[in-house]
Amino acid sequence: MSIDAILLNATWVLPLLTVLLVVPVARSNPFAIKMIHAGSALLNVFISAFLTWKIYVLSMAQGIPAGNKPILNFVTDIPWMSMLNIRFITGADSLSILMVFLTSIVIFTGILATWKIEKQDKEFFALAQILGAGVFGVFVAYDLVTFFIFYELEALAMYLMIANWGTGRKDYAGKKLTLMLMLGSAAILVGILGLYYVGGIDSFDIRKLADIHLPMSFQMWAFPLTFIGFAISASLFPFHTWSPDGHSSAPTAVSMLAAGVMMKMGTYGCLRVSMYLMPEGAHFWMPWIVILVTFNILFAAFIAIRHRDLKYITAYSSIGHLGLIFLGFSALSFIGLKGGAMQMISHGFLTALFFSTIGMIYSRTHTRNIDEMGGIMKSAPFLGVGFVIAGFAGLGLPGLSGFVAEATIFIGAFQNDSTLMRIVTVLAILGVTTTAVYVLRAANTMLHGPITNHHFEHLPPATLPEKITVVLLVACLLGMGLFPGWISSMLDTSLTPIFVNLSR
Amino acid sequence: MSFPLILPDILLIVLGVLVLALDLARVRSSIVWNVSWIGVAAILGLLNLIPAGWDRSWFGGNWNLTNFGLLMREFFLVSALCVLFLSRGIFTRGEEGFAPLKYKAEFIASILFVTFGSITLVSSQDLLTLFVGLELATIPLYFLVAWNKRNPRGSEAATKYVLLGSTSTATMLFGISYLYGFAGSLRFHEIALAVSQDTSSPLLWIAVLFLISGIGFKLTLFPFHTWAPDVYDGAPTPVTAFLSVSSKATAISFLLVMLYGPLAAIHVQLQPLLMLLAAATMTIGNFGALKQVRLRRFMAWSSIAQAGYILAALTGPGDMAKSAVVFYLFTYAFSNYLVFFLISVVGGAKREQTFASLAGLTKQKPWLGAALAISLFSLAGIPPVAGFVGKFMLFASAAKGGHFAFLAFVGLNTVVGLYCYLQVIKAGWVDDADEETLAAQNNIVLSGVDKIAITVLTILVLVAGIAPWLGNNITAILQYGP
Repeated sequence: MSIDAILLNATWVLPLLTVLLVVPVARSNPFAIKMIHAGSALLNVFISAFLTWKIYVLSMAQGIPAGNKPILNFVTDIPWMSMLNIRFITGADSLSILMVFLTSIVIFTGILATWKIEKQDKEFFALAQILGAGVFGVFVAYDLVTFFIFYELEALAMYLMIANWGTGRKDYAGKKLTLMLMLGSAAILVGILGLYYVGGIDSFDIRKLADIHLPMSFQMWAFPLTFIGFAISASLFPFHTWSPDGHSSAPTAVSMLAAGVMMKMGTYGCLRVSMYLMPEGAHFWMPWIVILVTFNILFAAFIAIRHRDLKYITAYSSIGHLGLIFLGFSALSFIGLKGGAMQMISHGFLTALFFSTIGMIYSRTHTRNIDEMGGIMKSAPFLGVGFVIAGFAGLGLPGLSGFVAEATIFIGAFQNDSTLMRIVTVLAILGVTTTAVYVLRAANTMLHGPITNHHFEHLPPATLPEKITVVLLVACLLGMGLFPGWISSMLDTSLTPIFVNLSR
Repeated sequence: MSFPLILPDILLIVLGVLVLALDLARVRSSIVWNVSWIGVAAILGLLNLIPAGWDRSWFGGNWNLTNFGLLMREFFLVSALCVLFLSRGIFTRGEEGFAPLKYKAEFIASILFVTFGSITLVSSQDLLTLFVGLELATIPLYFLVAWNKRNPRGSEAATKYVLLGSTSTATMLFGISYLYGFAGSLRFHEIALAVSQDTSSPLLWIAVLFLISGIGFKLTLFPFHTWAPDVYDGAPTPVTAFLSVSSKATAISFLLVMLYGPLAAIHVQLQPLLMLLAAATMTIGNFGALKQVRLRRFMAWSSIAQAGYILAALTGPGDMAKSAVVFYLFTYAFSNYLVFFLISVVGGAKREQTFASLAGLTKQKPWLGAALAISLFSLAGIPPVAGFVGKFMLFASAAKGGHFAFLAFVGLNTVVGLYCYLQVIKAGWVDDADEETLAAQNNIVLSGVDKIAITVLTILVLVAGIAPWLGNNITAILQYGP
């Protein structure tokens, strides 16, 4: 194993080690607990940034791969469970490493944004790290079982975190979220076992499975099963219902992690497992999935207009944005895939910023209802600006990451010349316009105008962890919006193999 | 040369007699307890010295040591060891308001005899030995269930268990006699030959249906599961745990031995029936668990559902089914015993064993709360804990049989199952406790044995699935043949 491979595995080992490291720290010393967790998360940011840079250099040198084999760097490939020839395979191509980078940022800022957790901080941060370890693992795993084990780790941590530290109907929301994700996982599990036995090569290795042509009769049922299974965690209509309840009840860090990276695990799985391994099934089913996607984009935007609770608005806006990712995928064109992948990264940053600023505002005003707020910009300008930037990125303002991703998706979607796709694309653009309506209305009601409640006149200013959170996330949004070229050329190298398979 | 191979079996029965003899000699019961668990651990160690690959028989071919038998021996001894540790509590502090129980030596000896019966069953090569093993593994349980005489629930449970148990034994015997009538022999290989020559004889199918109904009782298959909640609730906690692990494993071994041995030729025709039974059992188990408030009752329904999952693996081909089931049984035993240790600790002395008594557990005793979550997530099949990998192998076995639609149904069931387990986790993690419960939880005192057992089991549940040694060793041993 090379040093880089060890570093890549360190991304998911480090959070787990931190949990063990914190065990002996006394409960009476919450600051030490938080500092250790934040320190390890920061270290992880550096590791992933270093690896991202390294892969950028490598992928520029290697160029775009010719066949359907991904260029996998930093591979670890060791036998694991001999019963079904399960191997522990991790590695990273450009898409993986970008997602790892996104995850490390969201976890770090998530820990900072929950700095003032009220009770049982030891358990809370431990669970957050376990959740993070699972997400890192998903993005670097290249064996289906390894992938699935990491993927399911979320269920373990999610319920406990929402039900214990959440607000409102937290038990209901936590159960709903966990059970719906479990439903998706059960479907994926059946699909994975099918890939193993129907594939018939005694391997769960994604790279090997990508080479075989699975029978159409198998793909006909296995593609929708796994795709929908993954799409449940990416809140595809009509499986989105866990998302508004879950996000609104969850504590800030969990909302950030769930919307920022956990939902991306779903879209990543759709891309990496369903579409890559079963391309013929994808061609057959995509026209049907596109119809669901239309609901995602349009309904979510119109529902968000009606909601007054900030977290609900953001949750529905997330559903809409996830719909755009699916729109990019379902166009089955290269540009569409790229747009979808870019939107995965962009939305990760912007939704993390959204939820973190909402959490900060809520901790000051103790309400999330936008009608009860007014003039927040005057008393807490820093948070107000953070919220507005997140909103602008969400509605696709040029210069921020959202524009780059969404424009690419629409171009890609228009490349598919079927009538259905054309109609859907036009409708989707309408949906994006609607986004502007609710984002601007929310920002306007909440931030501007006279201060409606005298409690809001003297809100405490942003603390240092909060400032770091907002600045870091805004920097990422701007970085991606102003310099999309390097991400785009990185993604070319890892999306080409998937596209080659899709057009075989 | 071959004598040392059955030494562990002989030593086990000697140990059981020794325990009774020590009691007659009025040796202190704590010494008897120490002798018994050290003895079981030593026998387990001896078993581990036996290399895989033996296929030897003794006593005119009636007593056999196969690779599968070797693994199951180890499993039953691990289970017996766990029960011995678990039973210490009811003899020292009592539970649910009842005084500490008496007659420890007899209790221990009964456990050992049941274990010997299970081992007899997996060693059998003919129907008679099989039946003797099954009965030896059942009859001591009748009085183990009634050990707490003062508990009215216990008397009801024991009555129910004896009546229904003997009915099922009669059913089983009926089936065995028909099978004998059909094949003209009690020997497995001769029955197998007869079955392969005539797979559609009505006599054979009547025999098979009666056999499955008979074993269905012990395995709590739908529609023979109704006794389980009452009996599990009435029996002392260690006995409940023993019922849910060893007794169930005995029944599963019976099915494995029959389905992939004498009945192998009609396994394919039996698959639809097995799938139906498995699907009905897990559904009824999961939905039954939804509305429970008493922990042991809940575990009864949970174990019914688990029986359904295990049965699902039997729809696959033999090699995969055997390794999957053995592996799953280990992970299931670790998780289940861990839950029962927690129930016994939380519900010891003066406390009720209900969901409400768990409230606030995580805040008072974070480690117990963590162990509770880990064990229940394992039973629900959430990675990376052991139960997930076990379930994955079970499902893989069914997938190898090509039953994907059935698997999708099983998948739906795991979602309902997760809901049930989340209810318990919620009780321990989310629910706020009243002052009485809080005080009770502050008073929880863990004995050294409890601490060690809970720690070891928690670690096992955490790593047995993802650390490859357990599964890979099982695969390695079974690759030498059945």
